[in-house]
Amino acid sequence: MKIGVYVCHCGGNISEVVDIKRVMKFAEQQGDVVLVKEHAHMCSDVARKMLVDDIKEHNLDKVVIAACSPQFHGRTFMGTVEKAGLSPYVMEMANIREQCSWPHYYEPEYATKKAKDIVRMAIAKARLDEPLEKKTSPIGKRVLVIGAGIAGIQAALDLGDAGFKVYLVEKEPSIGGKMVKLSRTFPTEDCAACILSPKMADVPANPNIELLTNTEIESISGFLGNYDVVAVKKPRYVDTSKCTACDKCAEVCPVVVPNEHDEGLSSRKAIYLPNPIAVPHSYVLDDKTCLGLFPLACSKCYDVCDPGAINYDQKPERLNFTVDTIIVATGYEIFDPRKKKVYEFARSKNIITALDLERLISLEAEGTSLRPIGKRIAFIQCVGSRDELVGNEYCSRICCMYATKLSQLLKRADPKRDVYVFYIDLRAYGKGFEEYYKRAQRTGVKFIRGRVAELHEDKRTNKVTLKVEDTLTRDIIESEFDLVVLSVGLRPSPGTLKIADTLRLIKSPGGWLQEAHPKFRPVDTLADGVFICGCAQGPKDIPDTVAQASAAAARAIRLMNKGEFEVDPITAFVDEELCSGCGICAGVCPYDAITIELKQGKRVSRVNEVVCQGCGACVAACPSGAQQQRWFMTPQLHAMLSAALGEEVS
Amino acid sequence: MIFQRKPLDADKINVVIGEVHIIKDRCKGCSFCIEYCPRDVLELSEEFNIKGYHPPRIKNPDNCAECHLCEMLCPEFAIYVTKKEDAKTPVH
Repeated sequence: MKIGVYVCHCGGNISEVVDIKRVMKFAEQQGDVVLVKEHAHMCSDVARKMLVDDIKEHNLDKVVIAACSPQFHGRTFMGTVEKAGLSPYVMEMANIREQCSWPHYYEPEYATKKAKDIVRMAIAKARLDEPLEKKTSPIGKRVLVIGAGIAGIQAALDLGDAGFKVYLVEKEPSIGGKMVKLSRTFPTEDCAACILSPKMADVPANPNIELLTNTEIESISGFLGNYDVVAVKKPRYVDTSKCTACDKCAEVCPVVVPNEHDEGLSSRKAIYLPNPIAVPHSYVLDDKTCLGLFPLACSKCYDVCDPGAINYDQKPERLNFTVDTIIVATGYEIFDPRKKKVYEFARSKNIITALDLERLISLEAEGTSLRPIGKRIAFIQCVGSRDELVGNEYCSRICCMYATKLSQLLKRADPKRDVYVFYIDLRAYGKGFEEYYKRAQRTGVKFIRGRVAELHEDKRTNKVTLKVEDTLTRDIIESEFDLVVLSVGLRPSPGTLKIADTLRLIKSPGGWLQEAHPKFRPVDTLADGVFICGCAQGPKDIPDTVAQASAAAARAIRLMNKGEFEVDPITAFVDEELCSGCGICAGVCPYDAITIELKQGKRVSRVNEVVCQGCGACVAACPSGAQQQRWFMTPQLHAMLSAALGEEVS
Repeated sequence: MIFQRKPLDADKINVVIGEVHIIKDRCKGCSFCIEYCPRDVLELSEEFNIKGYHPPRIKNPDNCAECHLCEMLCPEFAIYVTKKEDAKTPVH
């Protein structure tokens, strides 16, 4: 056996702490090691070329790379070893960066000792590595996109245009998500509805997209290339193909309820058009507020509907379909400012959220004025963001800019207005944002650095007095305003949290969906074939959301386009002689990859190798040692332990 | 989010509301009208009618949505609804 050991400096990340020469000398003394080399950057093209040449020249059959974590560059070196004609699974990484030089930065002597131990363990494991064959599995061209806000719409359109079959599932009766509610978009001040509505209209026009509105995902099972989806289409009670949106039904409907599209500022009927640019452009009957469908109480809408679009007998419809990949675009909801009691939201009609103001401005532009906005307006930033008291440590990223936008829209509409923005830090990080902020200052919006401490409403005039310390001048400001706007932060939507449970996705702090790697796999998840985009992954503005949605579509296409995908051979397998069929393994498997089968009258465990992710839970749980995991076989782990616990290394 | 506020345009929306008429002496006291009214307009009264039954009584007259459900359900044709034009309706 010929083992080659390569020690990486990682451009100083490792070599500044670990004594590379001593580690190399130590490696040379190990059995079966025939070649030891070092390099400043093992991951560089030139070093990898050297590795390929060495394997060929010295006929190496095992390789140990002492560098970073296998999570970080494992795939890189596997590919290199494969290029040299070896199985990628005879390469071992000794992680002397994340597990050695970084945590032991201030103890170089100890770090060097530990690096030797880690290298010795990797060599011990490599000796027992067996070449594993990669398998392939067929994959189709069907995608499920969950959520039809701007992220889901963009991903669905990209996939549909590329010729993939898309199921676009939206739980609301219309697509468009939160963007439909916005007035303008920063920093260009395009009308949000005007730029969104062409995209919304493209969805039903695309022959590859099957749009399922008013539909919720019930369950998803299976694996990459074979996800079985069960969705429930809630009854709409209106035939979308017949409805002409004439509004006669809403005119006669006796039920008046708050309109969600206007954040409850205006009212709607129990039968209503979800928003003015709704797609599908059809009314929907809200059975929770309707006087009653069973027994049918009223039927006034049915009586006036000329095209006969209303059908009270619709029932929830269960849909089953199979897809190959999934894109999650379930978005956000705004922080409920009632949780921050000091801001008195809902106690005064003159304290509103920024989304309320978006609606007021949009409605005013459409010719409906619901209320006067007033002459003195204050924005309070970071409501529910960067606030550990409400459990949200993160920055919501968009509030600074939407406040900058709304404040200057108000100021420009009426220059006599006094508009103040009270902020902690003003973050104008994006393209054109700083210029936009400067423009707001030139327009006359006053930005004051300070967190508002107190609000109280004058019960007689309904004006709201703010108390705040200007932290730049140390002045205490106490001033009366006609309108106070809370710049609320974002939270993961209930749909995001639900789908995380359904698909077993990992959540980052704050409840957002966790990407596989923050830099290099920003839209992948650790579940194969499941991608995330938009605000489900974290707060972001519209350009970032659209970019991420297109990225998720591209990543999904990358998997599906070839028609087959490689299955990692690091899976569990069963020694049927030892297996007693107790089923403990099936119970602990987080991927439902294990079934218990009868084989010649004997209960044995069977692992579906396409589903198995190689987590090792079943191997650890098996009481009889029948479950084994390739590349992490029990003798290999024993050899590593012996190496680690062996004689003290000098 | 559940809206705690009353919509700002709620007062401007006119919805037809109904007026419930009860022919007390026809009533047999089955309470169908009370039970099925979607807006909780009616309640049982303590008074006796000519047949010795308790007829319904109007509890929330402004709530009637003129849906005529009570009228359709009444086995004794003892209740009917007429339209009251241009009245305002509370938001439910």
